[in-house]
Amino acid sequence: MQDYKIKSIGLFHGILSAESLKKVKLAKSERAFVCEGRPGLEAGKMTTGAFLKKGIIPTVISDNMAGFLFFKGLVKQVFIACQYADNKGALCDTGALIMAVLARKHKVPLTLLVAEHRTRFLGDPKSILSFEGHRIAPEGTHGYVPLVEWVPAKYLK
Amino acid sequence: MFESPLFWPAYVKEDVLYVLDETLVPSKIKYIPVKNVKGAVAVIRDMKTRAFGQFLVVLNTFLLENGPGPLRTRDQVRKIKHLEAVAEQLNNSRPTFPFAEVTRIVVGAAKKAFANEGDVSVAVVKTVQGFLAGIRARRLQRVRQIADILQDGDSVLTHCNVSGELAMAASLAIAEGKHIKFFATETRPYMQGAKLTVWELTQANAKVTLVADNAIGSLMADGQVNKVIIGSDRSAANGDIANKIGSYQIAVLAREFGIPLIVLTQPSRGVASGGDMPIEIRDENEILAFNGKRIFGNKVKGFYPGFDVVPHQLITKAIEIHAGL
Repeated sequence: MQDYKIKSIGLFHGILSAESLKKVKLAKSERAFVCEGRPGLEAGKMTTGAFLKKGIIPTVISDNMAGFLFFKGLVKQVFIACQYADNKGALCDTGALIMAVLARKHKVPLTLLVAEHRTRFLGDPKSILSFEGHRIAPEGTHGYVPLVEWVPAKYLK
Repeated sequence: MFESPLFWPAYVKEDVLYVLDETLVPSKIKYIPVKNVKGAVAVIRDMKTRAFGQFLVVLNTFLLENGPGPLRTRDQVRKIKHLEAVAEQLNNSRPTFPFAEVTRIVVGAAKKAFANEGDVSVAVVKTVQGFLAGIRARRLQRVRQIADILQDGDSVLTHCNVSGELAMAASLAIAEGKHIKFFATETRPYMQGAKLTVWELTQANAKVTLVADNAIGSLMADGQVNKVIIGSDRSAANGDIANKIGSYQIAVLAREFGIPLIVLTQPSRGVASGGDMPIEIRDENEILAFNGKRIFGNKVKGFYPGFDVVPHQLITKAIEIHAGL
């Protein structure tokens, strides 16, 4: 295997505040990786900001890169921002289901962390057509932006 | 049938290789003139071209280097040495795509011609042109196969960009009266899905919706997708593939939700399994900045693996092109 100079990762998904991160314990060798959270990049901006307040320098990845880290056996813990949970599952930011399925497949422990509630379930379809205010997709493109998703309890055990 | 510029994104005309600048599509359809191997390596390394475009650039670079210059010498030994040097530079341009498996074909043909007291330059031209013609024909056949797989009522998720083949297949299927929906992932950080795939599927009159890379779980769990079709940059002898980053988690989720994963492959026995494929780690700034402007906090780091390995166990069907690798 290639040497990525990274041996151990705590992987974070969703928008987390410094308060939410208080419960998180990382080993000395463990690096905090944060999924950026398209289309708003809120996680990449806010969760990383919360880490910096804790004196931890986080690493941002795109939302499609988590699988690589699991496949390489680098992820030791997964932390997911959760807005609501009961015995049937949890309501989380979109992308959490990917993390949960990967965590179960690779037998990595997963922790839900309390996050602020989103007021909308669907985002503006136009928000995925641009990046940081710059139009990317061609005119006429349709977008679909689920902001939250349900993660069934079977993936959270 | 609609033919996307991405299906054949590089060609030689009058000793110049013209390479479609895929970073500008769809805003501009602009071809970068490449005159030598140095220019060829630059367009590959800077991701001006990718996927099948790299294959075309590699083969056509030997035609360039067959033009005015070292290969015009009558010294056959010098010609071989020059071809080997060209191959070496191309092989080292990026780590994951199997450049050496492609350059070996041309250099091998040249050496065979030399051993048989033939003309090395003629052998290079014949090999490259013959190879390109064969690949084009086989890719068109594969487009037909994809079109046959697309069924009326399908809702297909695709990732990154499969160099024109899916759009062409979509145009065939639509012409046959099939109603098919597509979802294209954005494919951060270069956003080939948002730029290339959405554009060419739209050009093919297909219905396509753009989603963020993190939305694939929602789509699958909600039953909005019944097939996944992706390309591949490299194959291993055991059937594992390497493809654009994000492919592995799509494959895992597809298996979890019982959705068939169809992969367009170029079988190769160059490496035994996906674990033997070097994965390119690119500059973190390609994630941390956009249009030269920093997106995230100054102290924040980034990590950008360019490709994933998808184990063969997760692949439902591979539609192969035998490229002779």
